[in-house]
Amino acid sequence: MISRKGFLAGSASTAAGAVVASQIQSSADAEASQTVIGKRALEPHGVHQAGIELELQAFTRFIAFDVAEKITRQDLARWAGLITDDIERLTSGQPVLADPTEQFAGTPARLTVTVGFGPSLLKKLKTEAPKGFAELPAFKVDRLTPAYSDGDILIHVSADDPLTLFHASRALTRDTESFATLRWVQEGFANASGVTKPGHTQRNLMGQVDGTDNPAIGSEHFAKQVWISEGPDWAIGGTQLVLRRIKMNLDTWDRLSTDQKEGVIGRKLSNGAPLGGNQERDLPNFDAEDENGIKVIPPFAHIRKASGKPEQQFFRRPFNYEVPGEEAGMLWTAYCSNIENQYVPIQKTLDEGDLLNLWTTPVGSSVWIIPAGFTKGEVLASKLFA
Amino acid sequence: MFKKLIAIISALFISLSIVGCAPASEQKHIIVKDAWVRSSEYSAKAGGMTGIFGKFTNTTNETVTITGGTTDMAMMVQTHEVVDGMMQEKKGGIEIEPGETVTLEPGGLHIMIMGIAKPIVAGDKFEFTFVFKGADAQTLTLTAKDSAGGDETYNK
Repeated sequence: MISRKGFLAGSASTAAGAVVASQIQSSADAEASQTVIGKRALEPHGVHQAGIELELQAFTRFIAFDVAEKITRQDLARWAGLITDDIERLTSGQPVLADPTEQFAGTPARLTVTVGFGPSLLKKLKTEAPKGFAELPAFKVDRLTPAYSDGDILIHVSADDPLTLFHASRALTRDTESFATLRWVQEGFANASGVTKPGHTQRNLMGQVDGTDNPAIGSEHFAKQVWISEGPDWAIGGTQLVLRRIKMNLDTWDRLSTDQKEGVIGRKLSNGAPLGGNQERDLPNFDAEDENGIKVIPPFAHIRKASGKPEQQFFRRPFNYEVPGEEAGMLWTAYCSNIENQYVPIQKTLDEGDLLNLWTTPVGSSVWIIPAGFTKGEVLASKLFA
Repeated sequence: MFKKLIAIISALFISLSIVGCAPASEQKHIIVKDAWVRSSEYSAKAGGMTGIFGKFTNTTNETVTITGGTTDMAMMVQTHEVVDGMMQEKKGGIEIEPGETVTLEPGGLHIMIMGIAKPIVAGDKFEFTFVFKGADAQTLTLTAKDSAGGDETYNK
């Protein structure tokens, strides 16, 4: 192996030197392009918290904590100060303060951290909840376990690299455990970075193209449906999150024919187009009938039941989960400005007669208020803990 | 001849760059990074003690010594080392060679504060002035963090 320096020194002419230099450059370019996924860093500051209005990262963890009944706003302000500093450091590829494994930092890999609070925390703080934010009513389909439900504090961490995710989750958990106890962790995944095109709607574990009917990222419609614009100042610019762990019975699902599967959901498996349509983005025609007068999109199809009024639309950012050999499904999320007005009516309709309920079971459920974002120099949720 | 010329040119550049620098009194001869204070059971009540840590880089051409510090938060400030798992005072301070970075961390070199004025718990912040021999003192805000790493045995 000739070292680059030695090889350069041995080159006889400037022309040869230039060739070698360009080879070195292209090998540096190749190396840079091979590590680009690790280097991508996302801004943690803004009107809104990071980790919501963006394409899925490959790996995610939802981490829930409980705090003591007697916790004070001062305690939580100290916690928020630590977490804010952690978020700023980690998302820029820096180790956290007092990091026992600082060697893991340096590859932010689109790391985002989103922090939320459960209704139980607002009760402990004797704080009024923003409009529409409350525990969900009981649904008939629910088979909920406390192991994946509720909690006082949520830290949602996502990244394109599992080691980055591990390091950040561990740092944030360590600093939160000075104030709270771990309640549950749920881990999910999506396509790896670089596998699909930007804007591509990913498939869930049932094989369906899932998330077509979402408000477009960056659109005015998204802003209107997702971000809170009224209520307590700490919540304005924030959102409300419904997180549901939905178990899939893939064994019985896989026994269905393609036609049956498409009838259950109301979309084609091939490209996600609504039945009767051709392209994924075609609008479903719920009135269309075939030559026998049968609805093209069946009466109990999921997309028919799930299609609410435009003002009810919310943003879904679903990750898949698997406990190998045991369970698979989806960490389903709805981000909306008002859970009561947007999510609850649609879920009530689905609860009554969505054909998909035969193959899916909600086993975990929680709701979270995601406070406003923070700017540089500000502390997360400082207005709530003042 | 050529080498001499280069030496002269570089000498010129060096003197120019010195002239171009801020007055010495405004220079931070020591760059202190990621300074923090450990919160633990030992710091949970007034009168307790704890350690201060961070990364110290000596940008001067002389050896600089961390001799300790001053703070309203504590009665006594000492530089410490851990030898064979036992913590002891490091008399004469902690030396940093020119261009070197010394890391103060749990289980190793650290600054000990004793007789703290009030409890130090996770997320607390307070001011601490690091004092050096061979460089200007620096006042920084320390953040308190719980840390399980590098537990020392205390010599009773």
